[in-house]
Amino acid sequence: MEQEMFNQRTDLTQLSAAVEQIRQTLGKIIVGQKDVIDLLIAGLLADGHLLLEGVPGVAKTLSAKLMAKCISASFSRIQFTPDLMPSDVLGTAVFSPKTSEFQFRHGPIFGNIILVDEINRAPAKTQSALFEAMEERQITVDGNTYKLEEPFMVLATQNPVDQEGTYRLPEAQLDRFLFKIEVKYPSLEDEIQILVNQHQQKSDDQLLEIESVLSVEQIKSLRATIKALFVEPKLLAYAAQITHETRNNKSLYLGASPRASLAMVNSAKAIAAMAGRDFVTPDDIIKVATPVLAHRVMLSPEKEMEGLTPADVIAQIIKKIEIPR
Amino acid sequence: MHLRLILIFFLGITSVRAEIVQKPVVTKKAVVLKIDSNKIELRKIDSQAVTVYSKQKDFIYDDIAPETLSWWDKFWNWFWKLIDKIFVNKVGGSILKYGLIGVAIAAVVFIVIKMIGLDFRLLSGKSKSLEVPFDESLENIHEIDFEEQISKALEAGNYRLAVRLLYLKTLKNLSDKQLINWLPEKTNQAYVLEISDETKRGEFSKLTNQFEYIWYGEFFLDKNTFESVNNSFHDFNQKTA
Repeated sequence: MEQEMFNQRTDLTQLSAAVEQIRQTLGKIIVGQKDVIDLLIAGLLADGHLLLEGVPGVAKTLSAKLMAKCISASFSRIQFTPDLMPSDVLGTAVFSPKTSEFQFRHGPIFGNIILVDEINRAPAKTQSALFEAMEERQITVDGNTYKLEEPFMVLATQNPVDQEGTYRLPEAQLDRFLFKIEVKYPSLEDEIQILVNQHQQKSDDQLLEIESVLSVEQIKSLRATIKALFVEPKLLAYAAQITHETRNNKSLYLGASPRASLAMVNSAKAIAAMAGRDFVTPDDIIKVATPVLAHRVMLSPEKEMEGLTPADVIAQIIKKIEIPR
Repeated sequence: MHLRLILIFFLGITSVRAEIVQKPVVTKKAVVLKIDSNKIELRKIDSQAVTVYSKQKDFIYDDIAPETLSWWDKFWNWFWKLIDKIFVNKVGGSILKYGLIGVAIAAVVFIVIKMIGLDFRLLSGKSKSLEVPFDESLENIHEIDFEEQISKALEAGNYRLAVRLLYLKTLKNLSDKQLINWLPEKTNQAYVLEISDETKRGEFSKLTNQFEYIWYGEFFLDKNTFESVNNSFHDFNQKTA
């Protein structure tokens, strides 16, 4: 009955169809990991950059490559290594003997979907090259500013920081990622299914079979639809209160920034749209709270020693706040 | 040749050694002091010049003006003298001593209370009020007179509020029947999943969707639509009664 009464306001048919297609496409190769796939789609629709974290071998890079494959847009891949220089990412001015002038040679950052693999294996100097690109969608080299083409999305993968040869990403950079998506080990059933799929696989390269689902124009249109979704004022206050609590919580050394509140509301809109609604509910905010906040907060040293995780603290914070109803 | 050189070297060393070993002979002469025969001329400082110089600003080194007390300083001098008069005696001294000890104890108690965060109102029997994030927090679904509140909302033509009250009433009924465990921090979907009976869960899920569309989605609701929503809530509440 609610469908008859309430489906007249925003047309989400195209969005629902696109989401379903991406789910199916990713689901062909990625077994299980439904939450990861949903957050990848939500990140794409909410115009955010995504950081996938997990131990080696849990299909982080494959998920990111598949996501990029679903979109018919230019794709670049940068393998972050300890000796990578900012100019390797952004590009550099090269002297042209023909014209006797320096000409800017574009780096791999000039693309729509940028896969930054093993992002935390490069030092902070190289990481800082991404700051301007990720936030302002532009880069400045030798005093010249170059606009990056929309849509611009960084899909980064990283191993947990306690692993060999990894650096902790600067807080300023972590804050620029909409979500940190934790890719966990598959269940036993899923792992068996992975083996079955691999056994039955015909082509050597699974990605060759994948066709793009969305064009650049379609993504722009879907993003505009999502931006226009309705959020009840009390839910805005609810999201702000969750972020605010991270700044007053004794278990946290560093709380989340206002950018986190914005990210929470924008991504909650995407989650609502994926559920076929043109308005946000408290469940949408709670669903995105941990992926939005977990990488933006820092545990106090005592709590870190006790083995608490940022996700645990965020769950505690959510439990403390009354649902606006 | 070599022999001659060695001989010269040997003689050289011997002569140096002889010089070191011999003590110098000092002959003392008688000291004769000369008499100063110059004529001493006494000079006197001109007192007039001294007076002139002493009046010049550059030669007045002691420039601290004699202290002149303002009326305010005079008042405080008088005040502290008065205090001294009162307390600087046997009886007054003990008053001051115990007074200061009392003030110090009170200050320590105050600091300790502040540090442990004790609410002074607890001593007066009043409980500490919680910081409430929303006005809804003041509501307890077990204390609301739903019939009265819904009637008021309908009279005001506020159908959206009426649906919210209907939903809260349904939550109260489910809580009373122990089908859900009502807690302010639980979401609507959490309550839906809490209902074990599949039929009831499905029906409650539909009501939840209606409430969410109307309350969070701010969908327009006219009288006829409200009647339809009201009936579905009424039916569900009757079934769970």
